[in-house]
Amino acid sequence: MKKLLCLLMSMLLVLSLAACGNNNNKPAEQSEVQKIIAEAQNMTLEELAKKAIEESNGKTFYGVGNSSRGKSALPLFIEYLKTIDASYNMNFEWQQPKNNKIFDQLTADGLKEVGTFAMTLIQDGNQIESKMVQTGVLDTFIPKGWAEANGINTAEYKGYLPLQTLNKIFEYNNVNPDKKYDNCWDFVAEGEHGLFMGIDSEIVGKNFLYMLTEDKYATYLKEAYDKLPAAEQAYFKTTIDAVEKDAKELGLGENGKYALAWIKLWVNSYNEQTDDGPICNILVKKSSVDQFGLLVYSKVRSVEETDETSVTNLNVAAYQDGYEGIGGYAYCHYLFVTDNSPLPWTACAFIAYMVETVDGFSAWGKDLGGYSSNPLVAQGTEEKYHHSLGESAKVVCETTKDRGYDWWVNTGKLVVEDPKYCASVAFTVGSWIEMLDKYTPQ
Amino acid sequence: MSKKTRIRLNSIKTYLSKPQNVILLLTGLLVTFTTIAPIVAIIRDTVTIHPGTIDQYLSGKGSGFTLVNYLDLFTSKLAKTNLWTPLLNTTVLAIGSCTFAILFGGVFAYLITRTNMAFKKYLSSIFIFPYIMPQWTLAVVWQNLFNSNQVTGTADGLLASLFGIHMPAWWCLGLFPCIIVLGMHYAPFAYILIGGIFKNMDANLEEAATILDTPRWKIFTHVTIPMVKPAILSTILLVAGSTIGSYPVPHYLGLPTLATKYVSMNDKYTGEASIIAIIMMLFGVAIMYLNQRSLHSRKSYTTVTGKSGQITKVNLGKSGRYVIALVFVAITFFTSIFPIISFAFETFLPNPGDYSFLYTGNTNNLTTKWWVTAENITESGMYGQLGILHNKTIWHAFGGTILVAVICCLTAGVIGTLIGYAVSKDRHSKLASYVNSMAFLPYLMPSVAVGAAYFILFSSGKINLFNTYTALVIVGTVKYIPFASRSSLNSMLQLSNEIEESAIIQDIPWIKRMTRIIIPIQKSSIVSGFLLPFMTCLRELSLFMLLCVQGFILSTTLDYFDEMGLYAFSSGINLILIITILISNFLVNKITGASLDEGIGG
Repeated sequence: MKKLLCLLMSMLLVLSLAACGNNNNKPAEQSEVQKIIAEAQNMTLEELAKKAIEESNGKTFYGVGNSSRGKSALPLFIEYLKTIDASYNMNFEWQQPKNNKIFDQLTADGLKEVGTFAMTLIQDGNQIESKMVQTGVLDTFIPKGWAEANGINTAEYKGYLPLQTLNKIFEYNNVNPDKKYDNCWDFVAEGEHGLFMGIDSEIVGKNFLYMLTEDKYATYLKEAYDKLPAAEQAYFKTTIDAVEKDAKELGLGENGKYALAWIKLWVNSYNEQTDDGPICNILVKKSSVDQFGLLVYSKVRSVEETDETSVTNLNVAAYQDGYEGIGGYAYCHYLFVTDNSPLPWTACAFIAYMVETVDGFSAWGKDLGGYSSNPLVAQGTEEKYHHSLGESAKVVCETTKDRGYDWWVNTGKLVVEDPKYCASVAFTVGSWIEMLDKYTPQ
Repeated sequence: MSKKTRIRLNSIKTYLSKPQNVILLLTGLLVTFTTIAPIVAIIRDTVTIHPGTIDQYLSGKGSGFTLVNYLDLFTSKLAKTNLWTPLLNTTVLAIGSCTFAILFGGVFAYLITRTNMAFKKYLSSIFIFPYIMPQWTLAVVWQNLFNSNQVTGTADGLLASLFGIHMPAWWCLGLFPCIIVLGMHYAPFAYILIGGIFKNMDANLEEAATILDTPRWKIFTHVTIPMVKPAILSTILLVAGSTIGSYPVPHYLGLPTLATKYVSMNDKYTGEASIIAIIMMLFGVAIMYLNQRSLHSRKSYTTVTGKSGQITKVNLGKSGRYVIALVFVAITFFTSIFPIISFAFETFLPNPGDYSFLYTGNTNNLTTKWWVTAENITESGMYGQLGILHNKTIWHAFGGTILVAVICCLTAGVIGTLIGYAVSKDRHSKLASYVNSMAFLPYLMPSVAVGAAYFILFSSGKINLFNTYTALVIVGTVKYIPFASRSSLNSMLQLSNEIEESAIIQDIPWIKRMTRIIIPIQKSSIVSGFLLPFMTCLRELSLFMLLCVQGFILSTTLDYFDEMGLYAFSSGINLILIITILISNFLVNKITGASLDEGIGG
């Protein structure tokens, strides 16, 4: 047995070292998909749709994304193509990998000559840049109509194509009228345990924490801290003082210590859940007295009214009079064509359809909490669904009246994800965060 | 041609004229490649620089190779969080689950086989239910039952909603529930293995001890227990290997283990995650080493003579046999029946975990939308999914699962049977010992680690089988060959060589000897070797989750819905899985007489 083990280990070592000799690098020349994208960027949606019909009639389209609603957008796209050619039909599959597996899946699929996935709708700009774009797995396609609506010159534009901005906001159960959260520091006060997706399973949550250390948001936290009553300030001051040295070592700005203190208290206290869906389902129940969470605003769309459950059991913290500090955070869903897309024209047409038309965006736009990156589509969506009046929701109440992107970013003080900043602190502030103890219910 | 060469050629020809030698050579090559290649791939991954991860940051290089992952994992400030604590948790979990499974399954096996307990047939069938259900579904049922706003900071579960009972945190989350859930899941394993020995055990030794006036407890501890020691060791080996590689149960119940760390670290610490996979594999190698040692030591326990067919049954008393049976009826209700009722009920709740119907009786608090919704344009809280009856993703995944399970059971069954046959015929040769060990090694390696190794192997520019049924079939076959090879080896060892030799004298070809004599005689054991890969494949997640996307097979689809909190869908899928397994077990039992519990319960 020992000999067998020794033999096995030696074989493994030799083979592993031999295997290390190979190293693949992608050629620098333009891929077939990139050539198609270059052509497609000068075409209108209708022209792209005709190309898509030629390419994908009778075939199966595989998409993958961080949003489940790609599955709802695809049938609408097929309906649109049918208005051009009634005989058109296409099967589709939409995948939504969990636990950050989307990057592994796209990387693995990207190594095939012809991939399975035609396109993706993906979040976390930090990982997208390092793992997907620089490695040549994904290609950016900028639709002509979207560029025109945003006044962008496609040739000069270096960014990605955002479908929408989403907001994750602080919401709390209001069954106990005495329980109030009127300052963002209340969420990290003693005994509080907010419901939140794990920062390891959804990296945009970690990006939110990184962003708090940026000067603008650290200042938001400092300003909110200054508005706290003296007794509460005294409680938080211990932590703020304790992390002051770390803030200096990490090279953060003058208010960096407030950011680190908030982050420390948050990581030490949040109650990890697998998804925003379960968080919303918990918060809207009568039995969830005194609970709060940081979750995607749009989840309130899914609540069914029963004797136990109601969306009226939920308050949006930032909507409350006198609320101070950050109301949550915002991040983008980006659209990409895979570099080995089996249906590149159809992928481009589908992407253009989603960012250029109200119907195309309606899979997200029909509900509150998702803000199109195309100003014309955003305006059309509001005109059609009246989110500001709460008319798109099953129950009209303060919680379901979406105050819109501008309000959220300015008055609601959302912490907006900046991929470049996140990348710059991912292994400094990031490693510091990973050292923190996480909460488990005792 | 020289005389020496001719002699050598002749000896090779003679060697290859024996079918068992050809089988050993071919399967030797096969198992060597299928075991070594993924391990090589994952070792390579530990030193490869991955763009956008810690190794790129620490090494300052965008590509190439580095040892920085090893340094960082073992020596950085995060070593305790990322390695040592999960390692400790994994070890304690494996020991705890083994102990629970052996105590629960062993006691049950004893009561079924060696006492006159009532309702044996029913209890024997129902006891194996937790094994046929995906393991994390019990974890989800545990949460639905015991979570409470007061303790876990979530909505109230059933106990808190209906009776105001709030279980403590250690009961709801962490190590304890993981041990119980995994222990319950693997207790049927212990029951089948230990029960098999109890059932066929020679009662002469116990009777001799009784005649010598030995106290009953002493007979039990000094005679009975040593006789079942080999089965206990087998259970420990199999359960430990499986629990170390279990991802979903610790994930849902909030226990950081090596398997959960592998998944959570894979995005930013990709190379370090691969080292964790290797550490899990080393557990597998260590378990194999212990297995080999226990095999040697087992010789001293060879006390089963087969000369006594009479087993003395312990009389539990007129009421005792019913009281104990009722206790187990109650326990198995909660481990086997309640989850099924809970799954069915969950599919009619308007919101996940909304049990208001139970305390209001208002039928408006129930819905059939999770089954019958036929469009996904209107928002109905189903995240763009159609109802189960119309949901192509679910039924496509169901088809994929059946495909993978059937092919895996056939390929693993055939290869494993051949290995068992060849090893039994040539059991003293080094090649037979090597093939036997190598074929068994993947089973002892944690599923997550095997899946990770194959994911890396199959996700290259040269071989890219990511998200193909071929990949799942290959991995499933490699992982489950031991089911068939062990089952086949045990049954072949019971067969006297004379039977085959008499056929050889009559010049009957090997194929005919196998299909007309050997396989029919040991049909029941061999079919079990096919049945286990089939059933395990149906509900396998840890092994397959890295190799395909969620709609590919039913277990990954189920996991997706559980993650999303759409318990109605996951519960519906559980029901589909359970019904499929029960129907398959019933059909196989009717056609071949074989079944999972092998008639232990009589």
